[in-house]
Amino acid sequence: MLKIENVFANAGDKEILKGLSLEVKPGEVHAIMGPNGAGKSTLGNLLAGMPYVQPQGGSVQYMGKDLLSLEPEERAAIGVFLAFQYPVEIPGVNNMYFLRTALNAQRKYRGEDAMDSAQFLRMVKQKIKDMNMRDDLLKRPVNVGFSGGEKKRNEVFQMGVLEPKLAILDETDSGLDIDALKIVADGVNQLRSADRSFIIITHYQRLLDYIEPDFVHVLADGKIVKSGDKNLALELEEQGYGWLNN
Amino acid sequence: MVGLITDWLKQPEKLAQELEQQKADEIPAWLQEKRQSALQKIQTMKAPSRRLESWRYTDVNRLIKDLDSFQSTEHHEKINATEKKDSVVIVIDESGYTGIGECPDWLTIQTFNNMSPGDWHEFDFDSESVVSLANDLLVQTGGLISIKKTSQPINIHIVYAFDEIDDWKYIRNQFKLAHGAEVNIIEQHQTGRINVINVYDLADHVVLNRSHDIRLNSSEQFISFNLFEIPENVTVTNMNQHIGGSLQHHTHAINFNKTGSKYTSGSINKSFDNNHITDIVNVNHSFKNNQSDVTHRSIAKDQSQIFNNAKALVAVGADQSEIEQDLKNVLLSPDAKIFSKPELEVYADEVVAAHGSTIGALDETALFYLRSRGINIDQARDIMIESFEQEAWVC
Ligand SMILES: Nc1ncnc2c1ncn2[C@@H]1O[C@H](COP(=O)(O)OP(=O)(O)O)[C@@H](O)[C@H]1O
Ligand SMILES: [Mg+2]
Repeated sequence: MLKIENVFANAGDKEILKGLSLEVKPGEVHAIMGPNGAGKSTLGNLLAGMPYVQPQGGSVQYMGKDLLSLEPEERAAIGVFLAFQYPVEIPGVNNMYFLRTALNAQRKYRGEDAMDSAQFLRMVKQKIKDMNMRDDLLKRPVNVGFSGGEKKRNEVFQMGVLEPKLAILDETDSGLDIDALKIVADGVNQLRSADRSFIIITHYQRLLDYIEPDFVHVLADGKIVKSGDKNLALELEEQGYGWLNN
Repeated sequence: MVGLITDWLKQPEKLAQELEQQKADEIPAWLQEKRQSALQKIQTMKAPSRRLESWRYTDVNRLIKDLDSFQSTEHHEKINATEKKDSVVIVIDESGYTGIGECPDWLTIQTFNNMSPGDWHEFDFDSESVVSLANDLLVQTGGLISIKKTSQPINIHIVYAFDEIDDWKYIRNQFKLAHGAEVNIIEQHQTGRINVINVYDLADHVVLNRSHDIRLNSSEQFISFNLFEIPENVTVTNMNQHIGGSLQHHTHAINFNKTGSKYTSGSINKSFDNNHITDIVNVNHSFKNNQSDVTHRSIAKDQSQIFNNAKALVAVGADQSEIEQDLKNVLLSPDAKIFSKPELEVYADEVVAAHGSTIGALDETALFYLRSRGINIDQARDIMIESFEQEAWVC
């Protein structure tokens, strides 16, 4: 599904990713951990197409396509989704309108019919219920006045509505209390399927108590320095990242 | 200094002809006198130029230019106001105020011929507002529109719809609102090269919602001077949309003349092509305990220019004044220009004031956020512009 080979990338004028490789197969869940500033968000942003992050070398294949040559909106339409570490506030733009516009833009790109507002409302109400979220979320402007936790839940809700093939969650667990963490994990687990993959960037092992990863990787200084199964996360929790300096 | 008139108003012979014609049209003697004094005054003044602050960011040569020399790529849907059902529609055209039919009993309209000279609002236009002094000199159409208090709020729609579109049309609308009146006034442009003076003479306890909806194609021009005389316990909401036009130049003067009133205005200025838009709001807090809240959102594209400014003057003793000025600006292309500087001049001691102005491009992170959800870049920009404007939607 996703094959990242020896990728180099800059964030602004800083060299951040330095020869990173990673392969993700359909249905797999990969956790990425690592110290602050290692380049985890830069990896997520690179995959989603943030203009600030500029590839310098290597390649990224996604479902047979050269991912880095596509516009962000094209990537979204073929199933790439990034849950932002810092979701953006858009005053005056209603969440529901935003999501319907996004979904219909994706459907149009894929040659599917647009969803009318009644259909959309029905679908969204069901998702809200399935995901244990409050429906006042829909009427509010995108992320405006949301608490940190609400913003993160809104990201997961958007993911639920847009049903991506490859979801990248960038520290979606940071700043959540245990109940919110469970809601987020439930949202992910409900979407898990044989043809859908996840890259979960996290700082803490605790999210992985709820979302069981197939692989855990350590990203440090712009590349994957260690990979293993879920036990690696437990080791990291105990040892921290001090060993990286040796 | 006839040269001035040659330069920007019209040929001196034409002007003399016009004044003669107006005499023949039985303009009342008092108005002819006003004209004469306006003529004397204007002859002592310089033509509008870039040396004047309010014209610094406008090509003044456009005042005398043929309108068909302006190229247009953007076209704006104009609202057909004459179809409004629940409003009294006043069309302003070559024949004056038309389209009203029979006036409801809360409405009295007096044209210059039958209004009393005492009701004429005297302005003291200075060189910054010399284009409005030209209106005093050349005003053709207008009068006094008096509105009584009614049990329900009432709606008035003013529409400029001239057949002849090249020559400047000078109009004065003087609105007089009675104690406690609740009025919604919408002012819209359909056709015509307009120079208008609007006077809103309000009584205590008036609630006025005014919407100034000026959407011009790139060959059209509109100049307005808008005065609000605000006494006690009055609420004024003034929503301005200034979109397009080879030249738009709007001045709003707000005078708080008693206490306990609030003026809220929102301006959305949008320019394209080679448009020049100026939008100036001057608030005079001469008395205590009044509140003014001025929000501007301006967006310039292509090679267009916008100048927008808010100025508040708080007099000695005008304590408990509350002033907010919030001016934000977005440039959509490297060739577009916006100038904006909120100004506060405070001579009172106890005043709550906040002002700020920003200028920049659309927020890249937010654009990326929208695009990352599948929204294409053009639509993402439109959504961002909508979002940017929304704080200026005051009604
Ligand atoms: N938008 C940005 N603006 C400025 N610096 C950035 C930006 N994105 C990333 N960086 C820089 O890139 C480096 C890696 O950041 P990031 O990928 O966010 O690390 P992580 O997510 O692993 O903590 C940091 O030094 C950070 O300062
Ligand atoms: Mg990060």
